[in-house]
Amino acid sequence: MDFVSHDDDTIAEMLKVIGVDKIEDLFDDIPKDILINGLNLPEGLSEPDVLMKLKKLGKKNAVYSNSFLGAGCYFHYIPTLVDFVVSRSEFYTSYTPYQAEASQGYLQAIFEYQSVISRLTKMDVANASMYDGSTALAEAAIMASAITRKNQIILIEGIHPEYIEVVKTYCWGQDIKHKIISLEKLDDELNQEIAAVLFQNPSFFGDIEDTSKIVNLIRKKNPNCLIVQVMTDPTCLGILKPPGETDIDIFVAEGQSFGINPSFGGPGLGIFTAKEKFLRKIPGRLVGKTKEINGTLNGFLLTLQAREQHIRREKASSNICTNQALCSLSALIYLVSLGKTGLREIATQNVQKSQFVKNKLKKIPGYEILNTKPTYNEFMVKCPNVSTLIRECKKQDLLPPLQLSKYYPHMKNVVLICVTESNTKESIEKLFNALELANNNTEGTA
Amino acid sequence: MDEKELLIFQKGNNSTHTNFIPKLDIEIEKLENIIPRNLLRDDIPIPDVSEVEIVRHYIKLSRMNYGVDSGIYPLGSCTMKYNPKINEYVARLAEFSQIHPLQEENEGTLQLINAISVLLAEITGMDGFTLQPAAGAHGELVGLLIIKKYFEMKGVKKNKIIVPDSAHGTNPASAKMAGFSIIELQSNQNGEVPLDHLEFAMQQGDVAGIMLTNPNTLGVFDREILKITKIVHKHGGLCYYDGANLNPMLGICRPRDMGFDIVHLNLHKTFSTPHGGGGPGSGPVGVIKELIPFLPTPCIITTDEGLVCTQDRDHSIGRIKAFWGNFGIIVRAYVYILSLGAEGLKRVGQIAVLNANYLRIQLQKKYYLPYDRICKHEFVLTDKNLPNEVTTEDIAKRILDYGYYAPTIYFPLIVNGAMMVEPTETESKKSLDNFIEAMYKIYDEAFNEPDRLKSAPLNTPVGRLDAVNAARNPILKE
Amino acid sequence: MEYRFPSELKYLQTHEWVRIEGNVASVGITDYAQHQLGDIVYVELPEVNTTLNKGSSVAEIESVKAVGELMMPLTGKIIEINNILADKPELVNSSPYGSGWMIKIEISDKSELNDLLSVEAYKEVVNAEKK
Repeated sequence: MDFVSHDDDTIAEMLKVIGVDKIEDLFDDIPKDILINGLNLPEGLSEPDVLMKLKKLGKKNAVYSNSFLGAGCYFHYIPTLVDFVVSRSEFYTSYTPYQAEASQGYLQAIFEYQSVISRLTKMDVANASMYDGSTALAEAAIMASAITRKNQIILIEGIHPEYIEVVKTYCWGQDIKHKIISLEKLDDELNQEIAAVLFQNPSFFGDIEDTSKIVNLIRKKNPNCLIVQVMTDPTCLGILKPPGETDIDIFVAEGQSFGINPSFGGPGLGIFTAKEKFLRKIPGRLVGKTKEINGTLNGFLLTLQAREQHIRREKASSNICTNQALCSLSALIYLVSLGKTGLREIATQNVQKSQFVKNKLKKIPGYEILNTKPTYNEFMVKCPNVSTLIRECKKQDLLPPLQLSKYYPHMKNVVLICVTESNTKESIEKLFNALELANNNTEGTA
Repeated sequence: MDEKELLIFQKGNNSTHTNFIPKLDIEIEKLENIIPRNLLRDDIPIPDVSEVEIVRHYIKLSRMNYGVDSGIYPLGSCTMKYNPKINEYVARLAEFSQIHPLQEENEGTLQLINAISVLLAEITGMDGFTLQPAAGAHGELVGLLIIKKYFEMKGVKKNKIIVPDSAHGTNPASAKMAGFSIIELQSNQNGEVPLDHLEFAMQQGDVAGIMLTNPNTLGVFDREILKITKIVHKHGGLCYYDGANLNPMLGICRPRDMGFDIVHLNLHKTFSTPHGGGGPGSGPVGVIKELIPFLPTPCIITTDEGLVCTQDRDHSIGRIKAFWGNFGIIVRAYVYILSLGAEGLKRVGQIAVLNANYLRIQLQKKYYLPYDRICKHEFVLTDKNLPNEVTTEDIAKRILDYGYYAPTIYFPLIVNGAMMVEPTETESKKSLDNFIEAMYKIYDEAFNEPDRLKSAPLNTPVGRLDAVNAARNPILKE
Repeated sequence: MEYRFPSELKYLQTHEWVRIEGNVASVGITDYAQHQLGDIVYVELPEVNTTLNKGSSVAEIESVKAVGELMMPLTGKIIEINNILADKPELVNSSPYGSGWMIKIEISDKSELNDLLSVEAYKEVVNAEKK
């Protein structure tokens, strides 16, 4: 199976036109001693054989009926519309819309994506997207350093631990120094040499912080320091105050929650937004609206490309070339499918259902909710017996919550529970069965 | 193609109810009692639009767009080959699409990542792979960070990277992101790397290595490749292979055998995963044995208890993306490699080159070909010799009128008025002939009806757009 | 294509022009340079009062398809920038030696003036490049 359309006669005919005898002659310019005699790979498989093999492999992954795991990747309901639209092959088999006139459909969709993200976040400018939330955050740090010409940043604890790792790697590349501190220490640590303060809200641990308090503190102490907020589940923007209303300079988020399957963590969607005054420093693609040169119609095209690597080369602010176009299309369809009513309702349900679980949990002895601030759809619970809880959840066909010891070894008996609109009442009851079993059952603490 | 379409925001009304939210079946509290009022938002300026309106809107937009499934897509250096439908089907299976990156029962995904790493290692000749990078440029960054770390560990100060002027723009940009400064090497008259200049640059002692794509962006194979990598190695440098142009080399010649130490691949080019309108892609990075300890984390290792993933790696550059790379794309590429097998992949390389040379010979009869020799996956024509000041842009826009997508234009930068044509192996002869015929007609029009070319495109939803005004007065949302 | 190169100005190999008036040098890009870049869409100018060395990059000039740099022709302090270019970058195209000027420098070291090119010398640079 090689998806080639030629038969042998056609190949012979084409070789004749080219003026060579055999296909091998087309490779005459390659040094003989590095030509290989085929690859040491298995024979190609037919479609049914491939399917059989992959399904067998898939069986080694568990698919649960319901999930209480989040921590940067979420199970939200995805309207069937989303896959219907992104499966249109005019979209998914196209490439970067360099030829605007033959790509108006996608360009308009990206323009709509930028608009809808801007409307949801109330930020001035949204780009056409980045790889994911973690790399968007790292690019924001680099952008802030370029704007302020300072090479130190502060990361506030409560940013997703994997995002922190990614920011560290990117910053090491560009010799930007970083410090990870708690929010309480910010006042002491913030000096005039800091390019940016990066924080996650709602935090990795679920806390909803009062952004305006953080912003006021930073502005008072260092007015030139940029403020970068990151979010891992932006469905909360259906009810929470958007970053554009709290004077955030750069806002980034993981957009996987907007109609994108978990797929073991990728592809996701890096939402990247900023204030207008930073427009020329934003990495990644931007689609703009314009008019025909010799006509009256409006149209869309890639614009401000002189920022990008294919023109600016080593002077570009980022090396990013692609965006996550198809994922941004998913997000667009998701957001317009829900509309303002649906977005508010989804966010409300996430809060109400987690509150319901929190309230019930308080009544079970042995468990303790560790968050002291309001939360969105995630919160930390100290458990009497984590390993039993995990096992019992799986028995009930539930994807168990995250054991925080994975990232924070000292948090031995703490789980991060995520409750979304997609958790049914029945699944919540099952979770409580598991919680109670793990409380009564003292064996299996190993 | 269709007429223009309103924005989705102009289609909403206030009476619509979507059906995408489960009924709330639990007791609720007053929201303000859970979250203080001052942290809550007021309006959400996104309209409610009915399902049927949404479907019609986006179907209409899809009709105003051109993909590989619409016809030939000769966009040079992008390898716009056919995207097999089975790839899409498999990637959507719940056993792959509904797997959480932090869940424990994930043996299938780890096995898949491990299996494709082994296949890619065989295809490139490398010893180890990471599947973490989310795109080609992301892979370049990883490769460059590996080089940086390698010399840091050795305690050698080498902070420059050689990049030929024919390279993809991502190469110098990635090198800069990894903290290197760039030495741009001017290609010689054959479009190849001049050995004497390379030797001179390497002798300075502060050069960490070279980034090269071979075949290069002119579509030609650098015949001195073994000498190039030898010179770099002789001076203690590393050789980085930009795999953007790997397609014609499949089953024929491997980057490792050319002397490269690091390679990134573009699964969305060579391994048939869809370009998606510009992503999501995937840019795995392969390295020689000596560099495996530097690969990013997490990585998968084989133990007695099967595959496990680990953060431990002696000299790792660290994490470069949350979770596990673009797994949904990796699945598609794995399906493709399994489908083709050894013979199929070799045929891809052969037919990609056959198609490119057939097209080159035919188009060369009319258009100027600055580098006149057997090409590999692509070749570069120019607007030199065209009458009536007809430019490359005019040609490209007119091609759209004939119902095809245009080649990559004005790249590589070392060729004035470049048109970079890459047909890929999946185009039939008939499809190539149709494209040739259109290019011939356009050539004739350049002589007889130049105004038509200059006002092209005429058959698309909009005419040529004002890019200058768009950049001077950016409108990026509504 | 004929380009205008006023003879009273001094030039740089990198296509800047310099007008000396006492201790102050006004700087912009030449007619040839603006033509090579095409329609200018954006000019990023430095902050006033920064002091820069001769040969360092002081401003960026963007067209749709290219980016050019403005080099400091002389060491000195930036005392004025042409703010009008923020809204009207097209002035660089229409009036490269007039309202399209970019920065004014307070000259630190007058001996550097000797390194600037005369109009004849600059014309040779352009002719060589056109080939």
